[in-house]
Amino acid sequence: MPTSRRALVAAFAVCLALPLSACGSGGDDGGTADASGKVEGDITFQTWNLRANFKDYFEGLIADFEKKYPGTDVKWIDQPAEGYADKISADAAGGTLPDVVNVSPDLVAPLAKAGLALDLDKAASQYRKEYLSGAWASHQIPGMTGTYAFPWYLNTGPLFYNKSLFEQAGLDAEQPPKTYDEVFDAALKMAKETDGKVATLANVPTIEDFGRYGVELMNKEGTAFAFNDAKGVELLTRYKELYDAKALDPQALTATPESSGKKFLTGAVAMNPGSALDLGNFKKQAPNLYRNIGITDQITSTGHVNMYVMGVMVNAQTKRAPAAVAFAHYVTDAAHQMSFAKQVAIFPSTAGSLDDPYFTKEDGTDETRVRVAAAKSLKNAVNYTPVLFSEQMKTELRNEVAKALQGKESPKEALDNAVKACDTLLQQQG
Amino acid sequence: MAMSTASRVRRQLPTSPWLFAAPGLLIIGAFILYPFVSTLVNAFTDRRTLIPGRFVGLANFRELLQDDMFWVGLRNSTLYVVGVVPALVVLPLLLALLVQKNIPGITFFRSAFYTPVVASIVVVGLIWVWLLDERGLVNSLLETIGVGRVGFLSDQWLLLLSAMAVTVWKGLGYYMIIYLAALANVPRELHEAAAVDGAGAIRRFLTVTVPAVRSTMVLVGALSSVAAFKVFSEVYLMAGPSGGPAGEDTTLVMLVQRTGTGLTGRVGYASAISVVVFVVTVALMLLVLRADRRDES
Repeated sequence: MPTSRRALVAAFAVCLALPLSACGSGGDDGGTADASGKVEGDITFQTWNLRANFKDYFEGLIADFEKKYPGTDVKWIDQPAEGYADKISADAAGGTLPDVVNVSPDLVAPLAKAGLALDLDKAASQYRKEYLSGAWASHQIPGMTGTYAFPWYLNTGPLFYNKSLFEQAGLDAEQPPKTYDEVFDAALKMAKETDGKVATLANVPTIEDFGRYGVELMNKEGTAFAFNDAKGVELLTRYKELYDAKALDPQALTATPESSGKKFLTGAVAMNPGSALDLGNFKKQAPNLYRNIGITDQITSTGHVNMYVMGVMVNAQTKRAPAAVAFAHYVTDAAHQMSFAKQVAIFPSTAGSLDDPYFTKEDGTDETRVRVAAAKSLKNAVNYTPVLFSEQMKTELRNEVAKALQGKESPKEALDNAVKACDTLLQQQG
Repeated sequence: MAMSTASRVRRQLPTSPWLFAAPGLLIIGAFILYPFVSTLVNAFTDRRTLIPGRFVGLANFRELLQDDMFWVGLRNSTLYVVGVVPALVVLPLLLALLVQKNIPGITFFRSAFYTPVVASIVVVGLIWVWLLDERGLVNSLLETIGVGRVGFLSDQWLLLLSAMAVTVWKGLGYYMIIYLAALANVPRELHEAAAVDGAGAIRRFLTVTVPAVRSTMVLVGALSSVAAFKVFSEVYLMAGPSGGPAGEDTTLVMLVQRTGTGLTGRVGYASAISVVVFVVTVALMLLVLRADRRDES
């Protein structure tokens, strides 16, 4: 009996100790794996929802790498888009993060802070000059020194509009709005002419919108958010005006990029941001819309359009650092980025690639027109989303913006609250 | 002789019962006990997804009390229980009474009522989102009859009500089956005796059927209240990841998901919310069981 009681106490103690022991991982000063040495061994490579459409491309790329470096074996894992961050966080917490990982800048930041991303300024600085300087800088984290992922492909896109809806509302379909003021005026006219049945915009302003409008998003040190300045309040006030007039879709408060894309397809909204990829979708899913599609430049007050950057990170705890670094570079070098760009409407982040005739010569089709315009704008594009802006912060901003649009708070109060909440989350990130 | 054999077996194999129970205990330990204890411990730390936690005492719980979103979540989860449980206790019973009789074609109706139960919640959620969209079928019908469009998915309260309706619609068939089993055990003589005494259908329902299935109603009440308090999928699918306009439709479990997941997830804080959900859930169960016992006495 005493034995069983002791066993019970021991079992209970183990139960309590096990979870505590799980608290002890991560947090060391990472980014120091030695990348010099022979390129050999087994490595794992994780992509973000690319197998379905690009299986052959990646299998060929891996086979070429293994041929170039005999003795290497790359195991390719592809994860679905949904829950990708959760999958990475589970792997990172469980110590099973692949050696080479497809990431975006906001995913790199917490991994770098936890010492799980290799500092390429130390381990692979010789490759730095191969990439556009802005793209290389996109994986640098405020408050940390170093660069934590190779830049991979870039994307940006125009603003699509429905010419037919523009004409019905008495707007000039051949002279689309070019500035924020023109967009807002057109939206108000559209709402008035259609009795609120057709909205022009389907999304509430995000951090990128504030950036493009010219709002200072963070202080220079990257230690606090600053988008509650007069410019930010001005933008939100204009959106409130649109929301009240039904020029901003009533369901915008709960919209996702997917749902607003569908609304544009069905003609419920007149304008929607997109990329060259979308033209194919319009052609297939909404032929009527495709016949009436108008394409105009992304609206920006700063002279710089927004770009999205994908990266390839090397796990700082990899046991095969030379092979992992070599493979991450191989995936993202100029030749392979160019060849990937010809498979899908993305843009290389390598220096000089955007000057290739593929990105500078039009052949009269909408596809090449969008591609050439996007490539031109990418040369001085900016990734407006701060790398430290987490999902939780996006939700805080979105909820406060919604309160302002509903009239529950003034735009100033809403942005002050959002900045306060984001600053608290930033401090908690450490 | 038999006694001595049994005691010999017990002496020789004192661990045999544990061996039989081991697979089950391992599963319970790994998937229930360990996560439970882990959550309990984490609730008192400031652990983040990638950063180990330090013991912070009751700080997470103190923060909860000052977190507006926690109160929004608690309000919505409680409203969900209030709105959904009575419907899921009463409506499936009425449905079970309707399909109880063995008449030709009744199997079709039983199957039809049960279909939503086996359908994927994601598929069900998406279908309802399409139906209730500003330009969906329901709004088109309402516009046709002159009511005008209703913001089922853009108004905070209508959104919550719509999600409740989906939960009820999806759960009807499941609880109907439970009631059908209970109704099969109600003696026919009781109904006949009541009928002879002049009781009509409603009176027979109230004085014969309801008392006979009372314990089943308590069971359904307990099960549905726990499920309703922990609601996630329906609201997440219909209100979106941000929890509806300004997050006003966020439920407690959605808050756990939003706070505790991702690379910057606050695991400690999310665990504290989970502990609150657990305590409220247990309290709900006890409340229902106590009410049942009081009624019995």
